[in-house]
Amino acid sequence: MVPALEVRGIVKRYGGLLANDGIDLAVAAGEVHAVMGENGAGKTTLMSILYGLQPPDAGEMFRDGRWVRFRSSADAIAAGLGMVHQAFRLFGSLTVWENVVYGREPRRGGFIDRRAAREAVAALAVRYGLAVAPDAVVDRLSVGVRQRVEILKTLYRRARVLILDEPTAVLTPPEREALFAVLRALVADGSSVLFVTHKLDEVMAISDRVTVLRDGRVAAHMATRETSPREIVRAMIGRSLPPPPPRTGEPPGEVRLEVRDLFVRAPGRPPPVAGVSFAVRAGEIVGIAGVAGNGQTELVEALAGLRRPDGGRVAVNGRDVTAADAAGHRAAGLAYVPEDRAAVGTARAASAAENLALGFHRAPPIARGRLLDRAAMRAWARQLIARFDIRIAGERSPAGTLSGGNLQKLVVARELAHAAPVLIAEQPTRGVDVGAIATIHAQLAAERAARRAVLVVSAELSEILALSDRVLAMFEGRIIAECDGAAADEEGIGALMAGRRAEAA
Amino acid sequence: MTWPGVPPAVPAILLALLLGAALVAATGGDPLDAYGQIVVGALAWENLTNTLNWAVPLVGMTLVAAIPLRGGMVNLGGDGQLVAGGLVAALVPLWLPAPGWVLILLATALAMLAGGLVAALAGLGEVRFGVPLLISSLLLNYPVAGLASWLVGFPLRDRSSGLPQTVMIPAAAQLPPLGDVLNMGAFAMLAVVLCVVFFDRATVAGYELRMRGLNARFAAYGGVRLGRQALAAMAASGAVAGIVGALLVLGSQYRFTDGALLSPAYTWSGLMAALLAEGEPVGSIAAGMFFAALQTGGFAMERETSVPRELSMVLQALVILLLAARHGLARRRA
Repeated sequence: MVPALEVRGIVKRYGGLLANDGIDLAVAAGEVHAVMGENGAGKTTLMSILYGLQPPDAGEMFRDGRWVRFRSSADAIAAGLGMVHQAFRLFGSLTVWENVVYGREPRRGGFIDRRAAREAVAALAVRYGLAVAPDAVVDRLSVGVRQRVEILKTLYRRARVLILDEPTAVLTPPEREALFAVLRALVADGSSVLFVTHKLDEVMAISDRVTVLRDGRVAAHMATRETSPREIVRAMIGRSLPPPPPRTGEPPGEVRLEVRDLFVRAPGRPPPVAGVSFAVRAGEIVGIAGVAGNGQTELVEALAGLRRPDGGRVAVNGRDVTAADAAGHRAAGLAYVPEDRAAVGTARAASAAENLALGFHRAPPIARGRLLDRAAMRAWARQLIARFDIRIAGERSPAGTLSGGNLQKLVVARELAHAAPVLIAEQPTRGVDVGAIATIHAQLAAERAARRAVLVVSAELSEILALSDRVLAMFEGRIIAECDGAAADEEGIGALMAGRRAEAA
Repeated sequence: MTWPGVPPAVPAILLALLLGAALVAATGGDPLDAYGQIVVGALAWENLTNTLNWAVPLVGMTLVAAIPLRGGMVNLGGDGQLVAGGLVAALVPLWLPAPGWVLILLATALAMLAGGLVAALAGLGEVRFGVPLLISSLLLNYPVAGLASWLVGFPLRDRSSGLPQTVMIPAAAQLPPLGDVLNMGAFAMLAVVLCVVFFDRATVAGYELRMRGLNARFAAYGGVRLGRQALAAMAASGAVAGIVGALLVLGSQYRFTDGALLSPAYTWSGLMAALLAEGEPVGSIAAGMFFAALQTGGFAMERETSVPRELSMVLQALVILLLAARHGLARRRA
């Protein structure tokens, strides 16, 4: 059978870096094809070439056996491709149907034929089991539903090959199941799905075949039924993963981070943090689970001193820092890996050395009195780059040249190097590949073993479960349940994340 | 329009020169002659001191803009800070009985304080009261300049003169001349330049200011107190403006004359020069020198040809516009 989409020998070079080095890939009609690989393995480059966002330096593409060449994403769309990006591209103040038909509105006499548009959107939604109300305003929809709108957009443009870039990163487990149901309906209808992900369990659950990329090349083509997660990992990173870090079993010590009845208010909506209380003790990892947008961001900003709480109390290492700024929190003994490594955690135009020095720049050896010792700064950076295996040309290279996973390693390296009594790690492995995830998890576990108090905030349930001694479920600004980390299971917490209170947690 | 290894200002300058030439040609002038006169007027050996003399205040005001800009802040209040410094420097030698060199040092120090206070007040507007710095610094110009104008027009006016100006300062408090045109103020400005470059390259505070300019949220996250830093950067910037005022008064005008400090628009040329280099001190200083040469040459061009010296301001503005357009285009392509 002729593949729905096939590429042969795709090469893409950025300066000295071979991002794609002769990639072959064939996606059959009616299959879910997973593409896996570490950060920097070339997945993003390959997808942007498939979708016409950039031209390959060499290689050929075929759609249903016909030779094609995309000069822009418009060409790709015309050839029946559709892409759902990680960051949605929707107009928040418009309705679902307006978003879906945007740019291809059915017209009647120069005006948009609203009724035809609504009906077309509703019909598509029903046909593929996408539960969406066409008249709903996008801003009021949950992330999972917005993603369905994105899928509807591609279907409305008659896409037969859907490219999904890490579609489950923002979803709750039930939402993920709903997405998979939609994907199954699509392939049953003869469409193809190209599914880019970091998550092995998803690959095993939904895909028919897997292509694994490593260092810009195809490391393996596998049929999902005939392979195992271990085999996929080995293809991805060229070795087996170390076992997950064990819990120490030592009882936690003194309270290091204490939060009492914390409130953060926001104009025009319910308070993002509405009376949160908890404590983290020395030698334990506490995980906060929750779907993005339930107040975790605001909570952590308040804990880190980037936002003044509107009520309640925060104490770090016994010191009241409720009214202190970030500098005060750091002085009290807090290190913080922020969720947004690009907007908060780094300055992209500054060198890696300058990025690694922040927070260490006022004390020797980097500071000598009020003067900066640049040689010491660079030596410090080289040391962290080596210790945390950050892949970078040199400490003078701008942080912006690092791939997402390596940038995350840089932030984690810097914050762990503080050896602060309290560590807050927010989405510590977002967008990071399995190899780096294992490294970062091991480092967080080492912090626990060193008797530090660690708070992990993550939308990634498996991460929370793998690390935490205690799990707090956050929903609409409140901690609605607490459970033991070792005893917690994905289904129970998944339900809590969706707002169902545990009856007997 | 990007070539690797070439600073983006270079093509902007070349294109601005081309457009300027077209403008001159369209109005019946000879562009080659006009540009030739600018070059001769600015860089010929006998004219070089004029250029340097013009560069002293212009580079000074470039630093005034560059210091906050390095941290991503824009100080539009250079005029007010310059006037505050100039007025204080003109009054101190009249009122204090002291030897000349003491007067010079004291007048300069108090001028720095005056300029710094005006700038810090603008900073306070943003940090304390939420008035954007752009607005608070700009709007402070008007009351400060107005107050100075009234002071020298009425209570402090030199009665023997028909102009709104203060009494001339004693000769002992005047900066010693260096040759026909320059005065010792040039060395003072060189010292300021070296201090600013040193601060930027070699101090902890300079590092923090740079990080703020690259990503203010990152700096705050790393424990930099943004409010305090904004006040300090503004105060330093205003203090440099105060020095510029003092050097102009003590070195060449010898009194405070209403409007004399502002009519050459050093503040705005300096702001443009700093923007050209995005606040990086060495680049800003180079751009300031370039603009000083352009303006000095403009005077010569006006004398020798029929082209008015406003052409040099047009060229300056074109360079900035082209550079900004380049940034915008790059962003749209990305």
